[in-house]
Amino acid sequence: MNFAAEWTLPVMWAQQQVELEWWTWLRWGLWLVLGFVGIFPGVVAYMVWAERKVAARFQDRIGPNRVGPLGLLQPIADAIKLITKENIVPRAADQVVHLMAPVLLLVSAFLVLAVVPFGFGTSQVDNPAHFNGFVPIDPPAGILYLIAVASVGALAIFLAGWSSRNKYSLLGAMRAVAQLVSYEVPQVLSIIPVILWTGSLSLVAIMNQQLDQGWFLWSPPGLLAFTLLMIANLAEVNRTPFDLPEAESEIIAGYHTEYSGMRFGLFFLAEYLSVFAVCALTTVVFLGGGSLPFVDYPRLFGTETNTAYLITNGLAIGITAAKILFLVFVMFWVRATLPRLRVDRLMNFAWKTMVPLSLANVLIAAIWYECVIRPGQPVQALGFSLPKPVLGWLITLPLVLALLWLVFWINRREWNAEVKAARTGLTRGGLPGIVR
Amino acid sequence: MSQTLFLAISTLGLLAAVGTILARNLVHAGLYLVAFFFVVACQFILLEAEFLAVIQVLVYIGAVSILLMFGIMLTRNIQGDATTTVPQGWTLPALVAGLGLFLVLGFGINNHVGLKNKAAWSATATRPSSEIPKEGEASPRTLAINNMGQAVGIELVTRYVVPFEVAGLLLTAALVGAVALAYREGDDEGTNPAMRARAEFEPLDAPDQNRNGQPDSPGSASLTTTAKS
Amino acid sequence: MIIYNYIFVGLLLIVAIGFALAPLVLVALVAPRKQSLAKQDIYECGVRTFGETWIRFRIQYYIYAIMFLVFDIETLFLYPWAVAYGGLGLFALVEMIIFLAVLFVGLAYAWSKGVLRWV
Repeated sequence: MNFAAEWTLPVMWAQQQVELEWWTWLRWGLWLVLGFVGIFPGVVAYMVWAERKVAARFQDRIGPNRVGPLGLLQPIADAIKLITKENIVPRAADQVVHLMAPVLLLVSAFLVLAVVPFGFGTSQVDNPAHFNGFVPIDPPAGILYLIAVASVGALAIFLAGWSSRNKYSLLGAMRAVAQLVSYEVPQVLSIIPVILWTGSLSLVAIMNQQLDQGWFLWSPPGLLAFTLLMIANLAEVNRTPFDLPEAESEIIAGYHTEYSGMRFGLFFLAEYLSVFAVCALTTVVFLGGGSLPFVDYPRLFGTETNTAYLITNGLAIGITAAKILFLVFVMFWVRATLPRLRVDRLMNFAWKTMVPLSLANVLIAAIWYECVIRPGQPVQALGFSLPKPVLGWLITLPLVLALLWLVFWINRREWNAEVKAARTGLTRGGLPGIVR
Repeated sequence: MSQTLFLAISTLGLLAAVGTILARNLVHAGLYLVAFFFVVACQFILLEAEFLAVIQVLVYIGAVSILLMFGIMLTRNIQGDATTTVPQGWTLPALVAGLGLFLVLGFGINNHVGLKNKAAWSATATRPSSEIPKEGEASPRTLAINNMGQAVGIELVTRYVVPFEVAGLLLTAALVGAVALAYREGDDEGTNPAMRARAEFEPLDAPDQNRNGQPDSPGSASLTTTAKS
Repeated sequence: MIIYNYIFVGLLLIVAIGFALAPLVLVALVAPRKQSLAKQDIYECGVRTFGETWIRFRIQYYIYAIMFLVFDIETLFLYPWAVAYGGLGLFALVEMIIFLAVLFVGLAYAWSKGVLRWV
């Protein structure tokens, strides 16, 4: 191990039987203090600024530009404003639970970021082509840990709505929880193809596998799973078009009606931190997190010397950050473009379209694995050998397209039946209805 | 060190469990139960079964507690009253029964005799992950602990296949039961607002026949005129 | 050892709770505190609250929660199978197809009975 790897920023090998010495605690301390308390909230605060600027440009206006150059001090001004506002809590609210709910939501968002590798770290000892990951911890069940921690957020939102003793907050919270819970199933199911192809639940292993085999995005089941994951991510963090629970025109403000001042600021911070966290997860799992498609760059420099380590990891963190910010920009773009989904369409879309698609996608992913990853050498077909991915594309692309057509056909019959029922139902009986 | 950690976590768990029983407000009782689930997950981690720990958090705190909260919302009696507290005369017998159960469990677990060809659990002295590998190869226990997902997966489809499929059937039975709970016979009109409106307004006038005594065609109700008549 | 990972998680938990509570402590020190009767009321678009605070909910919410629970457990079975898939043969795939088919029958039943309607 070189000086840089030991002292600058920490990487923990979970499988080795190391005794915890004081410099391990120092490394963890640095990750905690610098990363989680310093960098991530700062990134998130400037994500809020970026959203306001981006949304403004989509709406043909400028956005905040008064406070500081380009409005860059706006988040600080907002934070100061929120802190100096009065903390109004209804007297009938359940004080302890009212305080606990945003704290639980923020803690859930932080804990998700603990397992996401932002870079490569050092090479593995027994396999120099793979890396240990620039990440605080790498538990063997990393992805399951991430999903488990993310699912605690739903409980926090319910507690927020219930503790306010406001029937509209409670209604908004129940609806929000129903939405979160419905979209968690496709979110979790769409990561399974990646696990299948990697053979491990650890995010660092997924990143390493993509170094070997290319991004998991470049395959039909991978594309479908990526799309499903992005849609489910939008729904999980309550962003448009799935932001019915917190839309001001719908239900006052849903579950955070009775939260004002910094308590609302905590919800706001937790939401944007969740956006960052799920985009980071998607980047690592589908987009390779730090690797570039055609360049063999992590192994170009290696990580043996200090400068090599710094160059490799600096580049990796920059590339990962660029990918995450691109996905975040896509989320901002979708918010600026699409209207809100009605609640019954939202739930139907989750259960009747996304869940069947993601379940069948698991089977198509198994087929891709058999075609592409399992055979050792290129497959002989039609007398000449095809490169493995080509065979995989030939077999799985029609399957994916057929699956999409099937699911949308089943749903279309139901939509048409509903529209016909609406028309015949309303125009009979004298009500002014849809004129055909 | 792990002994003190275990004792500290267990104390928190016991306090959470006592809080669940004694809380007056049902949602508070549910929250104490969530804390207890979290403590159980910590115990799994102390036992180096991290796969089980994350499953515990995912299923219990992520799904079962939400189900519990929704179930509480469906009832009216959230704030405790006379029907949710223990009557006076039952406290002492309850304590005696609890103590008896504890003694039986303690005696039974401590004097456990292992299965054939296996030692009792109390003969295990080392943690699996700190076993010294013999001849350069890790034991199956260490492999299982270090990659529990894979070990569980292999066992699920080789040795425990029948319980796995039966679990699938059980889950489907639970789903069908939930559907039976919610479905009321002939409710197809009840859930569609358009059909509900139609069912409401139909008895008021009889739009099924227009002036000529012919059966009305859809879309030409009495208030809207069409070009045909 | 694996348990060391979770010591970090415990530390992060404590630090995150502290980070979340710190602004609130700041608010308690800095922000004005003027109580008034109107501010302590529940907000209901500015008028007085009408009716009881707890309302009976429809069973639809509970149905979606149960469906989520069933599919969550299904994903829990899918995860170890997916991890172990590389070392197993066709038999594993067939077993999982049977499992998924059984659960899909449940979903199709719920769908066709009209229970998955929100309204």
